[in-house]
Amino acid sequence: MGAQESTPRPARPVLACGEVRTCLLPTRDAVDERAAETLLRLRADERVRVSRRPNRCAVSPDVLTGVDCRLPTANGAKVRAIGTVAARAVLTEGRVLQSTAYFAAPADGPDSRRPWGYYLVRPGLLVPVGRLPAAAVAEGFLAGHRPEELDVGSVAESLLARISRAELLDYDTPLNTASTVLRWAARPAPAGSEPSLRFTVGEEGLRTVALRLPEGTAPAAVAGLCEDLALHDWLLTTVGDKLDGVRLGTDDQAAVRKVLGPLVDHLLHLWMPRARLERVLSGLWDALEETPGFTRQWDALAQRIRDQLALRALLARREALDARLTAR
Amino acid sequence: MKGALPDEGTPFRETSAEPPTASVPFSHLSLELGHLYMEDFADGPARLARHFAAVRPWADAVRAGVGPLPGGRRPRISTCFLVDDYFSRLATPAELVPPLLAAAREAGLAIDYLARESGCAAPDPARPGSAPLAESVLHRLVESPPPGSTGYRPPVGRTGWLTNGRRTPSRRTSAALDASDVWQPPSETLARGHSVFMDVELFSGPEDDRTWSCAFLASVWQLARLGLLRDNGRAVLTPVAWDPAAFPADWDALPPVVQLTPGAAPFTAYGTCSVLPGRFLPVEHAVRVVLDQVQLEPDVLDQVARRSAAEEYPLPAGVVERTSYVFPPGL
Repeated sequence: MGAQESTPRPARPVLACGEVRTCLLPTRDAVDERAAETLLRLRADERVRVSRRPNRCAVSPDVLTGVDCRLPTANGAKVRAIGTVAARAVLTEGRVLQSTAYFAAPADGPDSRRPWGYYLVRPGLLVPVGRLPAAAVAEGFLAGHRPEELDVGSVAESLLARISRAELLDYDTPLNTASTVLRWAARPAPAGSEPSLRFTVGEEGLRTVALRLPEGTAPAAVAGLCEDLALHDWLLTTVGDKLDGVRLGTDDQAAVRKVLGPLVDHLLHLWMPRARLERVLSGLWDALEETPGFTRQWDALAQRIRDQLALRALLARREALDARLTAR
Repeated sequence: MKGALPDEGTPFRETSAEPPTASVPFSHLSLELGHLYMEDFADGPARLARHFAAVRPWADAVRAGVGPLPGGRRPRISTCFLVDDYFSRLATPAELVPPLLAAAREAGLAIDYLARESGCAAPDPARPGSAPLAESVLHRLVESPPPGSTGYRPPVGRTGWLTNGRRTPSRRTSAALDASDVWQPPSETLARGHSVFMDVELFSGPEDDRTWSCAFLASVWQLARLGLLRDNGRAVLTPVAWDPAAFPADWDALPPVVQLTPGAAPFTAYGTCSVLPGRFLPVEHAVRVVLDQVQLEPDVLDQVARRSAAEEYPLPAGVVERTSYVFPPGL
């Protein structure tokens, strides 16, 4: 047992990327805390972390997937990286399930692959062979991977599939919803400039977020921010889509109630941006509140649903009254 | 990597979110004085005497190899012996253990800690509701990716096999494709020139009734001796002091690890050395393949690194390098 390298100082990452999948937990009712812990127990020896303030949120331990492949790059540069992609699942209020797969990468790495143990003591870090063109990889990552390149999305997807296979889920969801994909890439903000965020809504449920963050921001904290963004974007999308399909002016009261009822029962109470964000990242939400105004839009949607339900209750009462008067 | 719940600078904190990591005491070396199948015990006291007589000089050599330590301190070395009560139970502890201890004593060796192999497979009886150690380690396997792995692969937990490289691609059966159907060899990742490919079976049977393989339990045993396993932050396989004159008639009545020498150096150690019969070489090769792909809790690794550094006893970063073996002649 010689005096060799001891446990390493983690190299400071110059890039963190990830993908979040957000969906309704495939079950009739929201699950309670115990069921949430059962669902997210990805490791026998590590507890699911449960938080009750300001809302109920359960977070699985991180699980790792080893990769050794090329990274996507915007300029076609060939960059090989080796290491582990971290993945975790989050369940909010027992109702919305998210899985995130993410990694960080340092500016450079050894010239060849090292023994696997070297990477295992750096969980969630992809170490490039040689130098990392961080800007090109960030851009390439957001644009999507080609075959033979790193596929973080399939890591997130397989975690989601693993949880969704659980026996306690009945797949009888109260409303049909689409899942969304949010892909993010974060690089340190240039010296002297403020953190920034660019949120893009693309085709087929794909959202991309490009971030410039204070140096030293933990990749897990960035993942937390992006889970928060993805959750609220999913809520806006889902509720917006539901209202879009309904003819509110119609006389078919039952049909309208069938759409609005589940939204009230299952989704309206979930809006809570920045519930547990690191303070340094919380400010980034302000930009989104300014344009396009996430909470403004949500308030308008929620108000519309409540108004409709109130109006319908009134109408129903008057109809009942009319019917009684006619019967006399 | 503790994740999504913020911890710094927040005025409100929930302790349910972050269990603390227990620390365990460390010897410098955990010395294993051999391993026997149940059948070997059936061969009687002479077989045991031969075993320990063959182990003795090598155990002495291993002890001598640890020192000298900085400041002239004496190294802390504990000895242990693992009894296989998992794959077969031909005799009771009361029948099996006393002759074993006597044979060791005869050869001038003391067994400080006696462990049961079932302890690596079943939940700790002292902690109801705890996870079986083997299952915990299974969940901690992170496969070493052969070059070209992009993240799209079935997890080891479902296949039950773990390799040190890339398997031979499965062959097509269609006759029309015969021309292109050339055999491709498996390969060892990071092989030196030529491959020594190994595919390790970790368990067999369905999920609710698994039989763990000897190689996998031996891997758990190494990690336990290295003090690197926790269950929700708590220590596992904590030795229980035991009277060497009173062994029960039932293996399950015996704690998974018992301390037989009062005042012995701690069971858990910075490094391990196992003196084993050569027939265990393939098993221990498999152990190295497994240990190379177990992701341990960063908190636990940090703890060991800090403690050993404070003692000026530097450790290799890789867990595999903390284990060593002697396969003596005649064992």
